[in-house]
Amino acid sequence: MELKAVREAPTLRAREVDPDAALVAAAREEPRIFLALYDRYFDRVLGYVRLRIRDAATCEDVTSTVFTTALAQLGRFRGDGSFAGWLFQIARNAVRDVHRRPRVEPLPLEAGCSEPDLEEQFLARERAAQLHAAVCLLKPEQQHLLAMRYGAGLAFDEIGAIVGANPGAVRVRMHRILEELRRRYPHDD
Amino acid sequence: MTTEELERDLERLAEPREADERLRLAIRARLGEQTLVRPRRRLKPRLGFGWAAVAAAATTAAIVVLGWPGGSAAPSAADAAIIRHALQAVTLPANSIVHVKEIGVQDGTPVAAEWWQQMSPPHALRMIKGPVGRQEETADDATTSFQYDAATNTVVETPASTAPALVDPIAGVREQLARGDAQVAGTATIDGKTMYKIELPTGVVAYFDTTDYRPMYLDNPQRDGSVVRTRVVTYEELPMTPDNAKLLSIPTQHPDARVLTQSAPTK
Repeated sequence: MELKAVREAPTLRAREVDPDAALVAAAREEPRIFLALYDRYFDRVLGYVRLRIRDAATCEDVTSTVFTTALAQLGRFRGDGSFAGWLFQIARNAVRDVHRRPRVEPLPLEAGCSEPDLEEQFLARERAAQLHAAVCLLKPEQQHLLAMRYGAGLAFDEIGAIVGANPGAVRVRMHRILEELRRRYPHDD
Repeated sequence: MTTEELERDLERLAEPREADERLRLAIRARLGEQTLVRPRRRLKPRLGFGWAAVAAAATTAAIVVLGWPGGSAAPSAADAAIIRHALQAVTLPANSIVHVKEIGVQDGTPVAAEWWQQMSPPHALRMIKGPVGRQEETADDATTSFQYDAATNTVVETPASTAPALVDPIAGVREQLARGDAQVAGTATIDGKTMYKIELPTGVVAYFDTTDYRPMYLDNPQRDGSVVRTRVVTYEELPMTPDNAKLLSIPTQHPDARVLTQSAPTK
């Protein structure tokens, strides 16, 4: 339904015109129009960042940084690639900057939960922490692809359009990344 | 662990959280301030820019750049897009029937209204409204007004001199959204669900689903200063099929009722 279009990022397909081009052009003339681009990509960028950074507060800061940087540098976006590709490159750089900082461990569990909830939450957080740790051991390029797929929820052809590869090649690379990740994250229920 | 399980765990890392909406609004506000700091350039008129080929949201953005109808304070592109999509969601095709059901509490009494109305002239309608348990059912097909009395299973028919106006509960919202006077007042959470909040010049506040822009709630200011909130349980378009047309008629809905015909009221 067309009504969803305003909140959802449009599908990006290789070799097609960037669906964000008109909004980007309009936002260059009138910066407030950037908010429409923000509305399109907020969920996806936040998801991308969450897959690569464990600490919730840092995720929020990084997401904010991505969009404030994108707005500030919109004039430098030449439109050679897609806006989405450019935006996720900013996200990638912002995540890299965080990873270069001295590590701060996330806070322990919040108080106020009943005991079964606490135990369940503890296990879920442990599992998430292990997976995050495993993701962080992958190469940055692999993390980037993984986060676009499972964090931002992009389809293979959308990722292909961003990284300049065909969807089949992206699928194969993703399969290899998952295999490697599975070796590093040997989780059994 | 299977690949599917691993994929599920990965998706879980990134899944939306309750506080996301607050974060979205906070960053949005920060960006809004940032856009004000940047020098604004005048938009040169551009003919043949190719706007027609772009997505609806981009078109909305262009409309905002070039001027917002009916007001000096133009809404942001995103707000304009919300209003545009809300308007689309409440605008139904001419040859259809709008079906609305809303419920609420007025003066401590549960009230409900259900409405079927033809979107194009003669705007034939049937409605059931009033306090729950004491509702009145009326209809009007532009030539005859009908009133159904459930207690006696009687239909009273009265000749009508004028066709009814389009008066479904969303009609006023529709009209004011189209006029460009409505303003997005952020989002509000009602019963745990976050919705777009749109203020109308009449004082009515309408709340729309953030996904498909369906109207969800209406805050109706009363003369005594109170506000009656109604929940829009149903808002749907029904095609004008013979079966659906029966929904507009009291005699068809109550075929066994006794019919009393009254003369037209004298003025």
